[in-house]
Amino acid sequence: MNIFLQACMNGLLIGGFYSLMGMGQNIIFGVMKIINFCHGEMLMTGMYITFACFTYLGIDPYLGVPLVAVLMFILGGAIQHTLITPSLGTRSFTNLLFLTVGLGILFQNLALVIFSSNYRTISTPYSTQTVHLGMVTMALPKLISFFALIVVSVALFCFLKYSTPGKQIRAVSQNPLGAQVVGINVKMTYVITYGIGVALAGISGALLTQFYIIYPMVGTNFGLRALIVVVVGGLGSIPGAFAAGIFLGLLETLSSLLVGPSFKDLVVFLTFIVILVARQEMILRRA
Amino acid sequence: MNAVRGDRYRARTALAAGVALLVALPHFLKGNPYIINVFILIFYMSTISMAWNLLGGMTGQNSLGHAAFMGLGAYISTLFVVKTGGSPWVGLLLAIVLTGLIAAVVFYPCFILRGPYFTLVTIAFGEAVRQCIINWDYAGKAMGIALPFGRDSLRYFRFMSKIPYYYAALLMLAGTYLLMKKIDNSKLGFALKTIREDEDVAASIGIKPLKYKVAAVVISSMIAAMVGFFYASYNRYIDPDLMMQAYSVEFVLPAIVGGAAFVEGPLIGGFLLISVSEYLRNKFGGVLPGINLILYAIILLVVIRFRPTGILGWYHGSNLSRRVDFWLLGRTADAEESDRRC
Repeated sequence: MNIFLQACMNGLLIGGFYSLMGMGQNIIFGVMKIINFCHGEMLMTGMYITFACFTYLGIDPYLGVPLVAVLMFILGGAIQHTLITPSLGTRSFTNLLFLTVGLGILFQNLALVIFSSNYRTISTPYSTQTVHLGMVTMALPKLISFFALIVVSVALFCFLKYSTPGKQIRAVSQNPLGAQVVGINVKMTYVITYGIGVALAGISGALLTQFYIIYPMVGTNFGLRALIVVVVGGLGSIPGAFAAGIFLGLLETLSSLLVGPSFKDLVVFLTFIVILVARQEMILRRA
Repeated sequence: MNAVRGDRYRARTALAAGVALLVALPHFLKGNPYIINVFILIFYMSTISMAWNLLGGMTGQNSLGHAAFMGLGAYISTLFVVKTGGSPWVGLLLAIVLTGLIAAVVFYPCFILRGPYFTLVTIAFGEAVRQCIINWDYAGKAMGIALPFGRDSLRYFRFMSKIPYYYAALLMLAGTYLLMKKIDNSKLGFALKTIREDEDVAASIGIKPLKYKVAAVVISSMIAAMVGFFYASYNRYIDPDLMMQAYSVEFVLPAIVGGAAFVEGPLIGGFLLISVSEYLRNKFGGVLPGINLILYAIILLVVIRFRPTGILGWYHGSNLSRRVDFWLLGRTADAEESDRRC
C-alpha cells in the first residue's frame, strides 16, 4: 500500500510537468492548428538557460523562472513572426509540420555544439531535502515545482478567461476571419500565442532542472508526452490538459510499478493509440 | 513527328549517361571506400525517402513512423537468418511480406484519422514497436543483434568490399524510382493525388480513400522493409535505436527539401542534403559534433520559408527549367505542345 501511494504521488508530481507542457502545446494547436514538434526542444532550451544562469550568473533556479519565461516568450514570438506566420499563408500542413521539426533539430544540435553532450545537473542547498507527508516521502524541489506549476496553470487559465489578449486568443482560435473582421490583430495574436506556448515549455524546463539531468536530447520524451496530453485532454481546454497530464503521470508510474519499469513507455503509447482510434468520432468533430 | 522522337532520344541519352556514370563510379573510387560509403548512404536514404513520399508527398498522409517499418524489415530478416540459419533472400521476402501485412492491419483503423492526428498515431506506432523490441528477449532486447561474418558470398548477401553493396543500393534505388514513376502515372497515382487534394471530393467521385491509402502504406512499408534488410546486411548489426523517431524525420527531409510533390524530389534532396551533411561531419565532426545537423536544419528552414514547394517545385516554375528543356529536347515545351497540336 505504501509503495502504491508513493507511486501515485510520484505520478502526480511528474504529471504536473506533462500538464504544463501540454497546455503550451494545446494553446498553439488550438489557435494555429499546427503541431509544435519542437516543444520538447523548447523545454530543453529552458533547462539550459536556467543552467547557464545558475552556473555563470549564480541565479537561483526558482528565481530564474520569470527570466526564463520572458526570454522564451521573446524567442517564441520571434520564431512565429519570422518563420511560422509567413508559412501559414501556404496552408500546407506538411510544410508547417516540418518547419517545427526543423526548428527542433536546430535547437537540439545548437545545444549539443554549445554545451556538448555531457549530462549536467544543478544542485542547490535544498535539492536533497525531503518532506514526509503521511506515509509518502517527497523531494522538496519536486513539491515546490508542483506548486509553481499549479500557480502557472491557474494564472494561464485566468489570463485566457479574463484578460483582453486572452479573449483575443480565444476569439482567433474559434474563427480567425471573424476575429479579423471585429478588429483583432490576428498576426499579433499568433505571435503572443506562440510566445506563451514556448514560455510554458521553458517554465516547465526551468522547474525540471532541479531533479532531472540536463542533456541535449532531454526534450524528445517530454515533447511526445505533451502531444499525448493535447489529444487526451481535448483541444483548447486548459483544465482538460491539466487532468490529462496528471493521468499520464499516474499511468506511467503505476504501469512501471505493476507491469515493470521497462514496459512503461509501451503502455503509454499503446494507451495513446487506443484512445486516438477509439475517440476518433469526437476528434473528427473537433478538427 | 520524327523530330520529336529525336528530341526524346537526346533526353534519354542524358539520363543513360547519368546512370552509366553512377555504374562506372566505383571503378574510379576503388581506393576510397569512404566516398563509396557516402554514395551507399545517399542511395538507401533516397530510396526510403521515396517510399515515404508515396504516402506523405503523393497521398498527403504525413507519416513519422517509417523508421519502424525499416526496423521491422531489418529485424524480421535478421531474426530469420540468425535463428534459423536460412538464406537472407528468404528473410528479405519474409520481411517485405510481413511488414506489408503489419502496416495494413495497424494502419487500417488509423487512416480514419486525418492531418495532425494521423501523424500523431504514426509516431505512437513507431515508438510502440521500438518499445516492443526493447522488451523482447528473443530479439536481443536493447542489445541488438549482430549478423554473422563470413566469406564473400552472394547467397548470403555478405561481402568484404563495399562495391557490391554499392551496386545493390543503386539497383534498389533505380527499382524504387521506376516503380514510383509507374505509380505516378497510373490510376493508383491519380487516386492518391486526388485524396491529397481533397479527401471528401475523392470519396464523392467514387475513389475509396481508405482502400487507396492502405495500398499506399503497404507499398511504402514494403520498400522501407527492403531498405531495412539492406541496412542490416550492410552494417551487420542492428539495435532498437534504428527505429527512433529522429530517423523517421531524417527520411522525410530529403523529400521536403527536394520537393514532396515530385517523384524525383527525394532523389535531388537526398543527394544534396546527405552529401553536404557528410562533408561537414567529416570536416568538423570531431571538433563540433552536431554541426552537420545544424546546417541540415537551416537548409530545411530556408527551403520551407522561401521555396515552400521544394527545390523541384521552384525549378519547374523558373526560367532555368525552360533552358534545360531546350537543351535536352532541342526546343521548348511550348513548341513541342504546338507541334503535337498540328
